[in-house]
Amino acid sequence: MKLADILEYVGISFTADRFKTLMSSLGIIIGVMAIVVMLSVGEGLYSGVFSQFSQLNLDVIHVIPGTFSAGEHGPPTFRSTEEPARFTDNDVRALEGIAGIKQAAPRTSTQAIIQFRNKNASISLTAVSPKKEDDLWIKVAVGRFLTDSDDKAIVIGNGVSENLFRMKISPGNKIGLYNKDNYQEFKVVGVLEEEKESTSFGNNPNTAMYVTHKAMKDFLGEDNYYYDTIEVTAQDPAEIETVVDRIKEALKRYHKNEAFSAITARSMLSSLESILTMIKYALGGIGAVSLLVGGIGISNVMMLTVKDRIREIGVMKALGATTADIRRQYILEAGVLGLVSSLIGILLGSIASIAIGSLGGLPSLVTLQSIAIGVMFGIFTTTIAGVYPANKAAKLDPIEALRAE
Amino acid sequence: MGPSGSGKSTLMNIVGCLDRSTNGKFLLLGQDVSNLNDEELAHLRREVLGFIFQTFNLIDRISVFKNVELPMVINEIPRERRKEKTVELLKAVGLGHRMDYNPLRLSGGEKQRVAIARALINDPKIIIADEPTGNLDLNSTHDVMRILNELNNEGKTIIMVTHNPEITENCGRVIRLRDGRIIEEAS
Repeated sequence: MKLADILEYVGISFTADRFKTLMSSLGIIIGVMAIVVMLSVGEGLYSGVFSQFSQLNLDVIHVIPGTFSAGEHGPPTFRSTEEPARFTDNDVRALEGIAGIKQAAPRTSTQAIIQFRNKNASISLTAVSPKKEDDLWIKVAVGRFLTDSDDKAIVIGNGVSENLFRMKISPGNKIGLYNKDNYQEFKVVGVLEEEKESTSFGNNPNTAMYVTHKAMKDFLGEDNYYYDTIEVTAQDPAEIETVVDRIKEALKRYHKNEAFSAITARSMLSSLESILTMIKYALGGIGAVSLLVGGIGISNVMMLTVKDRIREIGVMKALGATTADIRRQYILEAGVLGLVSSLIGILLGSIASIAIGSLGGLPSLVTLQSIAIGVMFGIFTTTIAGVYPANKAAKLDPIEALRAE
Repeated sequence: MGPSGSGKSTLMNIVGCLDRSTNGKFLLLGQDVSNLNDEELAHLRREVLGFIFQTFNLIDRISVFKNVELPMVINEIPRERRKEKTVELLKAVGLGHRMDYNPLRLSGGEKQRVAIARALINDPKIIIADEPTGNLDLNSTHDVMRILNELNNEGKTIIMVTHNPEITENCGRVIRLRDGRIIEEAS
């Protein structure tokens, strides 16, 4: 039989029993739809995180204690076989002595209880070297930023001022901070501009507070004061990898058996990328399960169809149709059903994804890749589902088939 | 002819290349078919043979026209030629006005005439008819037999199974079977 003729007979089968066709295609439609929606949500998540990262300064090198491996070979891992390094001014000076480094800005963070007009909240407090923060991302909206000579002065994020206590905190106001039993009063000197939420990874910049290292040391009240992280800026962003290597080389001398890492947002991004890709395909996999169920449905319907048409298959064979003719007819019947259902699934899935993106607040992005994967899996599943029934039909003994009731 | 279980259908299946004999030889047009594969048997069925069944075996999902056309579709004959031949044969069996009907709407006699048209479409040398009048009333039986006789007179070989002794009157050769053996052969 010619392909065009087989397709015509396949078309007749579909229109002859519309209800059966609809019911069997529904499984595939929903399955493909699920794949597209899941991949779109995954893709949205991916590009959402990516775009937030791109707002970060990718060329800052974070020198941190402990081992943080952010390679291309999987997710980041923290290990604690070695003591984490403790950074002091020696390290800062050493870093700034390395060729190609513009500056090294040390930071120390702690969680503090903030008190304002008899109300308390827990909030992250970061100590910085004011002069070295020009290049970083902090912009002041009202008042001024810290200076090196400030002691009990504090700069607060927009969220602290506007939202935390439902009371506006302005420059000139005093706020109290607790560290265990140590209570100290700070004078607000500046309020930062409002940042889009979580542009900085991990911390919400709108609820951040900044003091000088001098004030932090006094606030923590410990004899030994260490830096949590040193943010290093390279003179030439193009040479950042060489600079990272030099940093590792230089600091090794000061921290022989201690663990430290020098990482860039860029390298974190690449490891994050692999995690997000995994998540995306895991989501797609969930969609594929529903497609599998749809495929089983098709297989089932095709088995019934073959059973229904057993006599017809016998007639076709008596009239000279070959096993290949019969097999092709039934595989195509499943395959065409898969193609049409997949296309409908793609359409509905895209609509659903866009709806989720705009109404549900979940990030979602329909890409050509998701569509291609959806269609491919849809056709693949139905064709596979059609193989067994089609083979069964093709191998029917014509005499038995003609005798069947 | 022969009683039930005498081997008529088995013989017809072998002659019709639907079945292979367990032993012995069957020569079709001088060719031993017992060694042919399924593909080659299918080829013989569509090129050399035409089938008429007791239960008509029309496909209910497609029109009368498409039923008759089907062997030519299987044989990959071009569309225009198919249409021409199908219309010609349906007219010849007196069903030119029923082409777009669904077979379910036809009477038994009409169904069998459709089946005859279908059996003829590929110009077979031999027509295999397994009790073609077994499910028909008297009038239809006459119609069908008249057509088969005409075909026979035109030179087609018709091999027919029947229970009806009346029908054998017009046959050139009658073979009686019992328990799988030929018990009588008359010309």
